[in-house]
Amino acid sequence: MSNRLAIPLALAAAWATMLATAQQPAPPTPAAQAPAAAAPIPPSWAQGRKADQEAANLSPHPPGLTALAEKEIPVANLKAPPGFHVTVYAAGAPNARSMAFGKDGTLFVGTRFPGNVYAIVDKGDHREVKTIAKGMYRSNGVAYKNGTLYVAELSRILKYENIDANLDNPPAPKVVYDNLPKDEAHGWKFMTMGPDGWLYFQIGAPGNIVMPPYTHATINRVNPDKGVLEVVARGVRNSVGMDFHPVTHELWFTNNGRDWVGDDMPNDTLHRVSAKNMNFGYPFCHEGALLDDEFGKGHTCDEFDKPAAKLGPHVAALGMRFYTGSQFPAEYRNNIFIAEHGSWNRSKKTGYNISRVVLDAKGKVVKYEPFITGWLQGEEFWGRPADVQVAPDGSLLVSDDTAGAIFKVSYRK
Amino acid sequence: MRRARPFALALALGIALPAWAADAEAGKRKAEPCAACHGAAGVSTNAQFPSLAGEPPLYVYYQLLNFRDGRRKNDVMVPFVATMADEDMKDIAAYYAAQARGPGREVEPAIADAGKAVEARNHCGSCHMPDFSGQKHIPRLAGQHYDYLVKSLRGFKSNTRADLDGTMSEAAQPLSEKDITDVAAWLAAR
Repeated sequence: MSNRLAIPLALAAAWATMLATAQQPAPPTPAAQAPAAAAPIPPSWAQGRKADQEAANLSPHPPGLTALAEKEIPVANLKAPPGFHVTVYAAGAPNARSMAFGKDGTLFVGTRFPGNVYAIVDKGDHREVKTIAKGMYRSNGVAYKNGTLYVAELSRILKYENIDANLDNPPAPKVVYDNLPKDEAHGWKFMTMGPDGWLYFQIGAPGNIVMPPYTHATINRVNPDKGVLEVVARGVRNSVGMDFHPVTHELWFTNNGRDWVGDDMPNDTLHRVSAKNMNFGYPFCHEGALLDDEFGKGHTCDEFDKPAAKLGPHVAALGMRFYTGSQFPAEYRNNIFIAEHGSWNRSKKTGYNISRVVLDAKGKVVKYEPFITGWLQGEEFWGRPADVQVAPDGSLLVSDDTAGAIFKVSYRK
Repeated sequence: MRRARPFALALALGIALPAWAADAEAGKRKAEPCAACHGAAGVSTNAQFPSLAGEPPLYVYYQLLNFRDGRRKNDVMVPFVATMADEDMKDIAAYYAAQARGPGREVEPAIADAGKAVEARNHCGSCHMPDFSGQKHIPRLAGQHYDYLVKSLRGFKSNTRADLDGTMSEAAQPLSEKDITDVAAWLAAR
């Protein structure tokens, strides 16, 4: 009985206190100075920032909204291992991010800020950038299968059927799945088509470091024919890149670690989904080994599944793909390439690369190294890689959402 | 030991793009049609229209892009920007960035105190900078017109004002109408 009474009594007491507080000038007591329960929270990027970190004046970089003209793109700055060559594949695609190939070498590209979706058509000696959709809301995710283009906006997934034949006059999109969360923070989607015909995408944590709702900090999949949603993995702060192993068909994904712990931790991570109901630790444990100083209390990292690799702190590991082409040397087969968008929450910038991950026969990570570098010159960046995609000819394409361009990495002996 | 900075101008303008080769002198000429509303040298005398003097250049550039590309709707602005080239926008932005902002307006002490408390509770300075001078693509609020600040905040709260990344629409949700007018009055007086 006492328990049943205790809660209403406590509520009544709180209510009386609120009324009293509202009607009186606040007395100068510590309780009155504490923030009210409903006090607004800082912008999502600043959550978890400590007072002594404010002076560093770190905040996210401006979004890329424009595109450099092809002749302005300093592609010669991009350095690759011997035998590899980097060229501009297409220019004039503002905020080009996630990529998916359609038929006949047509590349579909999503954007996070302008609300455009591009179809980049291969004309042999040059590429034509067609804007096939405008005015969309955070149309970051693109996937393609059997003539249908899927686009993930902030809170819904759309499809354009028979798209290849209608690039100049795309059909009205149909809704595949609606009613995803509308949080802006980590709300834009990376999406890819699984070998099982389901669309895979993330619902990121709605802030830097927060206790996420049950729906968030997850990898999910939707059956595009039935509109059924399933959770694939939990405890994932924000994944903006995923792909399926070409042999095992297991899902692998990148994850962005939390901010405001320090310059060198936690690491961004690479993950392998080898079982159902895996939980990779957010917000309790980061990189499989670092308990969160707030949410980690009462937990150990042993409760959670471990990442396959640590990728470096704040590198912003976004798009990743397995290399399935045959143009590169044999040792690159089934390697993972990762687009590292580059840091903001670090006193010295890091990332701004394409990195290479080598797995052994059992899927264990045996090497993680830079592959393409040069977007960062000193402490200044002129572009930011956002996604990678293996082209039909076995070259590797790289989207850049700040230069508004697609680069092509080719190999010639 | 510091490296040479080939993109010094880009840095000065707060964006790390080599293509940002803006010409503030050319921008002065290109901004002549803007003066009717935004005032001579970007200090507007009509509180409906924002003062642009001293705004971070990336803010003005990105808003011009948003008007031209249809993401921010405004019938007055559209005819001026419909055919404007990116280069012209950068020049205009560089010109306004180099102008001195106008004075803040008067505010009653009681309203100022209330507005200051709204700011502290909502962390406006996290993005707009502690002195509200703006940074990168984020606007200066200090000394901006009260009417324009109120209109903007109401727009963000009702999700009718274009928002680059959703930050302001989220930030405006907890604000009451009194919060909006208080904080706008306090910022306009900075």
